[in-house]
Amino acid sequence: MAINPKKHEMPVQNAKERAKNFKEVALGYTEALAVAEANRCLNCKYSPCVKGCPVNIAIPDFITKIKQNDFEGAYEIISQSSSLPAVCGRVCPQETQCESKCTLGVKFEPVAIGRLERFAADWHNAHFKGEVVLPQQNGRKVAVVGSGPSGLACAGDLAKAGYKVTVFEALHLAGGVLVYGIPEFRLPKEIVKKEVETLKKYGVDIQTNIVIGKTFTVDELFKDGYEAVFIGSGAGLPKFMGIKGEGLKGVYSANEFLTRANLMKAYQSNAQTPIMHAKNVAVVGGGNVAMDAARTALRLGAENVYIIYRRSMEELPARKEEVEHAMEEGVKFEVLRNPVEILGYDNPEDNHDIKNGFVCGLKVIKCQLGESDEKGRRKPVEIAGSEYILDIDCVIMSIGTSPNPLIKNTTKGLEVNSHGGIIVTDGGAKTSKEAVFAGGDAVTGAATVILAMGAGKTAAKEIDDYLRQKV
Amino acid sequence: MKDLMCFTAVEFVNDPNVVGQTYWYLCPFTDIKEGTDVVAPLGRRNGEQVGVVRKVEFADEFSAPYPVAYIKKIKRVLGETVKNSSFRIVKKRSLNSTVTLMDIYAPLVARKAEAGQFIILRVGEDGERIPLTVAGYNRRVGTVRIIFQIVGGTTMLLNAMNAGDCLADFVGPLGCATNTDGLKKVCIIGGGVGCAIALPIAEKLHKSGCEVHTIIGFRNKDLLILEDEFAACSDKLTVMTDDGSYGSRGLVTAPLKEAIEQGENYDEVIAIGPLIMMKFVVAVTKPYGVKTTVSMNPIMIDGTGMCGGCRLTVGGKIKFACVDGPDFNGFEVDFDEAMARSNAYAEFERRSREENCNLLKKAVE
Repeated sequence: MAINPKKHEMPVQNAKERAKNFKEVALGYTEALAVAEANRCLNCKYSPCVKGCPVNIAIPDFITKIKQNDFEGAYEIISQSSSLPAVCGRVCPQETQCESKCTLGVKFEPVAIGRLERFAADWHNAHFKGEVVLPQQNGRKVAVVGSGPSGLACAGDLAKAGYKVTVFEALHLAGGVLVYGIPEFRLPKEIVKKEVETLKKYGVDIQTNIVIGKTFTVDELFKDGYEAVFIGSGAGLPKFMGIKGEGLKGVYSANEFLTRANLMKAYQSNAQTPIMHAKNVAVVGGGNVAMDAARTALRLGAENVYIIYRRSMEELPARKEEVEHAMEEGVKFEVLRNPVEILGYDNPEDNHDIKNGFVCGLKVIKCQLGESDEKGRRKPVEIAGSEYILDIDCVIMSIGTSPNPLIKNTTKGLEVNSHGGIIVTDGGAKTSKEAVFAGGDAVTGAATVILAMGAGKTAAKEIDDYLRQKV
Repeated sequence: MKDLMCFTAVEFVNDPNVVGQTYWYLCPFTDIKEGTDVVAPLGRRNGEQVGVVRKVEFADEFSAPYPVAYIKKIKRVLGETVKNSSFRIVKKRSLNSTVTLMDIYAPLVARKAEAGQFIILRVGEDGERIPLTVAGYNRRVGTVRIIFQIVGGTTMLLNAMNAGDCLADFVGPLGCATNTDGLKKVCIIGGGVGCAIALPIAEKLHKSGCEVHTIIGFRNKDLLILEDEFAACSDKLTVMTDDGSYGSRGLVTAPLKEAIEQGENYDEVIAIGPLIMMKFVVAVTKPYGVKTTVSMNPIMIDGTGMCGGCRLTVGGKIKFACVDGPDFNGFEVDFDEAMARSNAYAEFERRSREENCNLLKKAVE
């Protein structure tokens, strides 16, 4: 049988329509499409895709189950390795992970592994009626700090191994970046809720409104009978550029803008949390978070949304799919540009002019690519005298974050590096403090959901090993 | 007041070691009856266990007849008798027409709260997260005191709730406590509702043997709050009103300047109130080099160092009020920027207040 050289297209909402709503963009494969796509898999001898997956899902096995129309079977295989399949199927950068290793990809487009994963997870969530079999309990308590991807992955694995796991979440809702950061149109919050519910069925206890480092310290958790603690407190304080005008009204960090829109549901007309509905928005940065912010701004009614990025389209760190979606929806890419100053409205005649102190423009300078840096990326070099002003009324800074300082400030014996990231053993999760493990953005600084999940899984394994030896 | 808190005697019938004995718990839920199944902590080591309520006694918050020191809270009542959260309003009192005091049952927050720290609350599901500075706490009964001014939709909704109602969320204590170490003589300045935050600091200093001079200022007599409480913890109290309807006429800066010029050697001036007041206090103290601490209360969302909405410029650098503050060296704060940023949503707040006002009116009709 001849192999279709291309992936089966993902059904998506029409670009013009979706740029105005918050419903999910990608609609998911039908059963027929999923089976057809699964049949493209060669089931090759060495399964290189598995090595490309940070949590080593048995990819060819689950695809085989889909070929056989056994969708629940496919889900079971995925869930052995991944605690959040419906999430990963949506937000993993498969093109640089599993799919980049696919044998089919040498000649054709690789198998659409991510889309198949999402299909299996969605099928399970829609059709599964059975009960979860509770693992045998060993009666030992482990605390997990933060309910983002690393915390949930760690909690899921430990619960399945029989530990009594309590997850402490500072916000009022579990999910971390999955609920406050990634927008509804890319990852519906219902999906996150379902994945969290599944973990609860495995016995994971989730305590919201508790800030570790404040409400309890890590040492108090040990006193309370927890034998090990995993810190997955995530990315913290947003970075700013240090240019003039960042204190003006209408300048957001991407974290604030997205938290208002997602967690606090400011996109709904009856929301109690306000957000600016700007006409002309500049998003500074080129990562996935920048794409999320830009596309959210568009949906909030902006007429022009610009991505301001200092390198070229080639170097954009965001996923290709996200960049394509953003372009289709009308986000404009001002690449090889760097912001110099944010301009504010000031009416010297009238102190009470309500526009005073709001952003009214962004001065940017053109750049060209110079020599490569140590990572092999070409450095942007500003072209003197090439500044010009964009008509902007809202600026969203999306240039990264530094790890949250609350835990390191209140935990004796926990070492951090110069960026504030918790230091862990090479490739592992053990910190400088006995029985404390860490992973995710709290260690690495801003990274991806799947890397954080991988770190959570590694930690779960190390915690299990550690506690077995401790007996 | 009487029916808002109760004490329950719980027997852990499934635990052979303690069966037959009863343990007393302070409980925020008044719908508990004899025979209700509850989950409660039994000592530190044993964790939570299922027990049966044998006896219920109602008591107001200050007459706890039983030691509750090691008892946390009854988190869940089996059988879903509690649908709301456990963050129950146990006391509500109007201090003036726009300022309200509430004590909220939140034992985990009360356990750690210190003067100068803040909490974040949501009134209802889908509500806004708002930060309020801790105005007091009672560790023994597990309550945290908040005092708030009605400014926007959320504070209006909060004010519409009564003792016995529950808040959706109440998290903290957040931020750093006010540093009072080694202070021997301090001038505390409170402006308007800022007095609520200044009070626990004055009380703490007074308790530690520090000489406390207090200056509080209000627009007029009707807006005066906490005068008696300040009088009890101050060696010297000056009350100012803008219109002279009570105390002396004028701004808080006038008596401060006078005191400094008369040679009062303050180790520190702690000013809490409207931004404009703190700005002018700093303008008075700076020429004399008197260390001045101000408490900043910018717009926040998460309050845990994630969103960056609460950023301020302090000493030319970006600082975050939620983790670096809320107290800052007054000499270094860029008040003009903070003032501009604080009214970013003024228009939204006005509309939200009006909408909620209409809703409440309808509910009353």
